[in-house]
Amino acid sequence: MARLVVEGLCKGWDFPVIDDLSFTVEEGEFFVVVGPSGIGKTTLLRLIAGLETPDRGRIDAGAREITKVPPYRRRVAMTFESYALYSHLSVYENIASPLRARKVDRATRDRQVHDVAQLLRIDHLLSRKPGEISGGQKQRTALGRTLVADPDIFLLDEPISHLDAKIRHELRSQFHTLEDLRRVATVYVTHDYAEALSLGDRIGVMGNGGKLVQIGQPRDLFERPATLTVAEHLGQPTINVIAAELAEDEGNLIVRAREGNLRFKVADRHKQVLKDLKTRELTLGLRPQHVRPLENGGAATSIAANVDIFEPLGSMGIMIADTGGVRITALTHPEKHYGSGEQVTLAVEEDRLHYFDAETGRNLIEAG
Amino acid sequence: MVASDALSPPKAVEVTLADRWRYVRYLFIAFLALWLLFTLFPLYFMAITAFKSAAETNLTIPTFWPREWFPSNFAGVFAEPTNFDALIDSFIIASCNTMLALVLGSLAGYAFARFPRQAGGENLAFWILSNRMFPPVAILVPMFFLFDNTPWGTDSHLSLIILYLVFNLPLATWLMMVFFREAPRELEEAAYLDGWTPFKAFIKVTLPLVLPGMISVAMLCWIFAWNEYLFANLFVGTAVRTYTIVIPTFTHGSQTLWNLQMAFSLIAMIPPVTLFILLRRYMVRGLSLGVVKG
Repeated sequence: MARLVVEGLCKGWDFPVIDDLSFTVEEGEFFVVVGPSGIGKTTLLRLIAGLETPDRGRIDAGAREITKVPPYRRRVAMTFESYALYSHLSVYENIASPLRARKVDRATRDRQVHDVAQLLRIDHLLSRKPGEISGGQKQRTALGRTLVADPDIFLLDEPISHLDAKIRHELRSQFHTLEDLRRVATVYVTHDYAEALSLGDRIGVMGNGGKLVQIGQPRDLFERPATLTVAEHLGQPTINVIAAELAEDEGNLIVRAREGNLRFKVADRHKQVLKDLKTRELTLGLRPQHVRPLENGGAATSIAANVDIFEPLGSMGIMIADTGGVRITALTHPEKHYGSGEQVTLAVEEDRLHYFDAETGRNLIEAG
Repeated sequence: MVASDALSPPKAVEVTLADRWRYVRYLFIAFLALWLLFTLFPLYFMAITAFKSAAETNLTIPTFWPREWFPSNFAGVFAEPTNFDALIDSFIIASCNTMLALVLGSLAGYAFARFPRQAGGENLAFWILSNRMFPPVAILVPMFFLFDNTPWGTDSHLSLIILYLVFNLPLATWLMMVFFREAPRELEEAAYLDGWTPFKAFIKVTLPLVLPGMISVAMLCWIFAWNEYLFANLFVGTAVRTYTIVIPTFTHGSQTLWNLQMAFSLIAMIPPVTLFILLRRYMVRGLSLGVVKG
């Protein structure tokens, strides 16, 4: 039981993979590192696990510095993306491996393996070999092996990404309920942003150059994304991104799309920052849930649009509408149906607009 | 039109094609049969010669089936009791050498596979393999003098056990290196995180993964050491005799006793053939280890 502190961690081969990374994971916290494939998430876990040596920086587990401690003395458990099950050993022996390494007596070992197998519902598979069980069962076996290890720090590398949707959902809910995971510091790596939002107590978004772009609670990241990339990756459907510029209209600050005639009033709480901006060009972010089709027009800023594509998804509908040059995605009421080509009027919640720097993608409001 | 099409299907063409393929197949089978004959004939001739009388082995026109069977040839081989000891000596030398080659070769191969830079890199690994490439006879005499100066001399088990490492160790190192490269590194890393030290992880996780390959290497080493003649002939002969240097001793005056030679050879084939049959399953898997993953 310990908190994990990572400070100024650097690791690179021909180019930097992890660059000056710092974060803390409290005891009992579920910290999700999310980012696109190949960005260095796995390297980060391997550094914490001790499978790689950092070029610089330090890693503490509780009061103990473990930067140079070999992996087998770290009390860190890790599941691998490939599961890394011992193919020549049974499921039982795979799970029992950490207990055997610590020379736990037979009775305790038996009990712990059976307990964890029962928890993960693989107790009927204990005598099978990894080659004889399904992907989801393999994943649970790998998870079982890390759970019995009773470590200080849990590292989970894309544990459910390769499974089919149904098992993925089942395992995801299992992560919520696994008590063992809730007592230690867990670092969970995934490229799936929905998974991150669902599981993370806090989320760290990893960006290019091996840095954490933003660390925060899921709600924070969703509502106040630090960059356009974060905004684009968090949330389904994806945020509308519109190239826009600031302008004046009858003394009011407005923002208008560079193509077409889409224009919005700048909300009062955004005015101050945007007024002082040197450049007039920026990128506008608009969440689909903040756009909705109006029943009978008449709102202050309404946009006339033609429905391009409509996807009725049951619990909601997704409409992609052409506003004359700019296509906008909007969430619609589950019981409404729209036909392709239908004319609609869209209302936009202007104070929910996000403003990003056109070049760097930095959030102008939240960062300023 | 439809009716006439149905009445005259393009049967003629089909038959010709099928026929052509059949001829190709017959030709292929004939070729395989010839090849089989070519490879099996020496074995067959050795087996029947072992049962012939000495006189029958020296006919100008050889017989391909013994006129009279002499199973007593097999007993005759052991009329000289030291001949049996030669089999034992060969067995000791081949087995000890194989074990040494496996232990050292696995460790070296592992080092080359996992820590190529620390272990001296690809060049050193290739240099070790190149030890197999020079003609062995080139080192025959130097090695003799070298071993003659050791406390155990040349005429001992130990001399050949060590000497054969010159040939078997590079082979074992190189092949084990290839097998270790194929073994997923992540399994070892998972073992470290389970709390196993690197050496224990090697024993518990990596070795079982390459075991089929290791068994193939063992077979190759063992058979080489078992059948080696050139060095054994010069090195040993009094205190220790391998079976290979006994075979040429079956003579009577100026006459070669082919029947006894063949009977002894047939007996000498028993250990490797038995080993092969017992371990065949692993051996095939081991030889394909580099081809198909999993």
